[in-house]
Amino acid sequence: MRRHFSMWALALAVGTLVTTDSTSASAADEYDYDLVHSSVSFKARHLGISWIHGRFNDVAGKFSLDRENPTKSTFALTIKTESVDTANKARDAHLRQPDYFDTKQFPTIEFKSTSTKVIKGGFEVTGNFKMHGTTRKIKLVLMGGKEHDFGKVKRVAFSTEIYLKRSDYGFDKNAIGPIGDEALIMIDCEGVRK
Amino acid sequence: MPDPQLYSQAMLTTAIVSAVAILAMASLRQSAGMTWLNSFSVVGIGVGLSVGYRVLALQLAWPPVSSLDRFLTLVIPTAIAIELVAGFDSVATWFAWFLRVSLAAATPRILLHDSVYLSDSDFTWSLWEAIAILTCCGVLMAALWSLLAWLHSRSPGVSVPLALSLTVQCAGITVMLAGYIKGGAAAFPLAATLTTTTGVVWLFKKRSGNPTEICEFGIIGIGVVGLSSLLIIGRFFGGLSTYSALTIQLAPLLCWATEIPYLRHRNRWIVGLIRLLLLVIPLLWILAEAKSDFDRDMAPLLTRAA
Repeated sequence: MRRHFSMWALALAVGTLVTTDSTSASAADEYDYDLVHSSVSFKARHLGISWIHGRFNDVAGKFSLDRENPTKSTFALTIKTESVDTANKARDAHLRQPDYFDTKQFPTIEFKSTSTKVIKGGFEVTGNFKMHGTTRKIKLVLMGGKEHDFGKVKRVAFSTEIYLKRSDYGFDKNAIGPIGDEALIMIDCEGVRK
Repeated sequence: MPDPQLYSQAMLTTAIVSAVAILAMASLRQSAGMTWLNSFSVVGIGVGLSVGYRVLALQLAWPPVSSLDRFLTLVIPTAIAIELVAGFDSVATWFAWFLRVSLAAATPRILLHDSVYLSDSDFTWSLWEAIAILTCCGVLMAALWSLLAWLHSRSPGVSVPLALSLTVQCAGITVMLAGYIKGGAAAFPLAATLTTTTGVVWLFKKRSGNPTEICEFGIIGIGVVGLSSLLIIGRFFGGLSTYSALTIQLAPLLCWATEIPYLRHRNRWIVGLIRLLLLVIPLLWILAEAKSDFDRDMAPLLTRAA
């Protein structure tokens, strides 16, 4: 009888845990990065007088938006360095070499949030940004977050910009040359949830 | 951007430091035999390279994250350590070659560690591809190493180490012209120290009256490891083609042509000169091709669109 009761208690406890877990999961909406309606682009100074523009064509990501407790929201982005595109094939090939992105050694640029703060019009997201084998903590100001409902598809969008110094991420200072050390990264992304 | 002035400074510094290091060690030991001279040359190369790479201001990470980091912080120091150990008379020849072959087998794997080829990615090789490619690279390195060491022991002189130095220099320029500036630059101090060390060792041998004694195995070993590693890095991480990498890797074997009976017993200097002339032909061919590719693909970036 006692054994029978123990089994019941265990089943109840497991059931409670599973229910609790599914409740917390449903509080956060999971979105996938929509490659078709998003872009990760950058621009860097050329000779200190103009800008070179480029983008990464292969990006993936996930956001988890917790509307009840927004500080629990998480953001992750993975950029494939091989997909760098500056509208010049020779320059793209050069950018893939070890003097720049070293795509055969560091195939991805990754961002993973560690904490999220609500600000007016969006979120301030702190996280680990890994590029060229170096990980640094950065703060992204994500503006947006408004949801759009179209049929059964829900969308949410964010935009952010951040200046990064290539030399902070192990890029060779001698290879910086005519293209400036600092680059402006612009991320406009839509998350999609079915 | 390539900086010829910086490369010249690095090469000159490496050469001077290597020569001074060998002279300083030799002056401390008046009756330096061939074993000691080999050790001095190996240490001289190590000291010269460490100063030369500092002048070159290569940013190295520890723990190493890139192939070049692993080449400079793991592969080259291991080659120096092996040649130091292998140079002593008390070390059996089979054991010395066991160490060398082990390094040749391990180097491609070390250089490609954590790269897209061996980790989960769109470019990942299958297990058999990985085994085949890594084995080929290791066998090529071991074959070049053993054949050059054998040739050097059959007909000693400065030609084999100098041939290696020339080939390393050519590999550096070709890797650079293919778009990997830092990787190519890493070859220059190596070429400088190989040449200087060979020259200093030759002067010592000449002064001691034993010009045909052999004590350059250390120089040859480090040269072969350096050359093969730079070519692997250039091929798998930079824009170096397989054809160029293989041609440069195999070019020093042309020195074997002087072993035909007609040339073998000629004056040592003539044999040495023929070896270097034979070597220069494929190297110049590869350089001309690399320059032509550079002018077509990269030069417009530097002059117009970079």
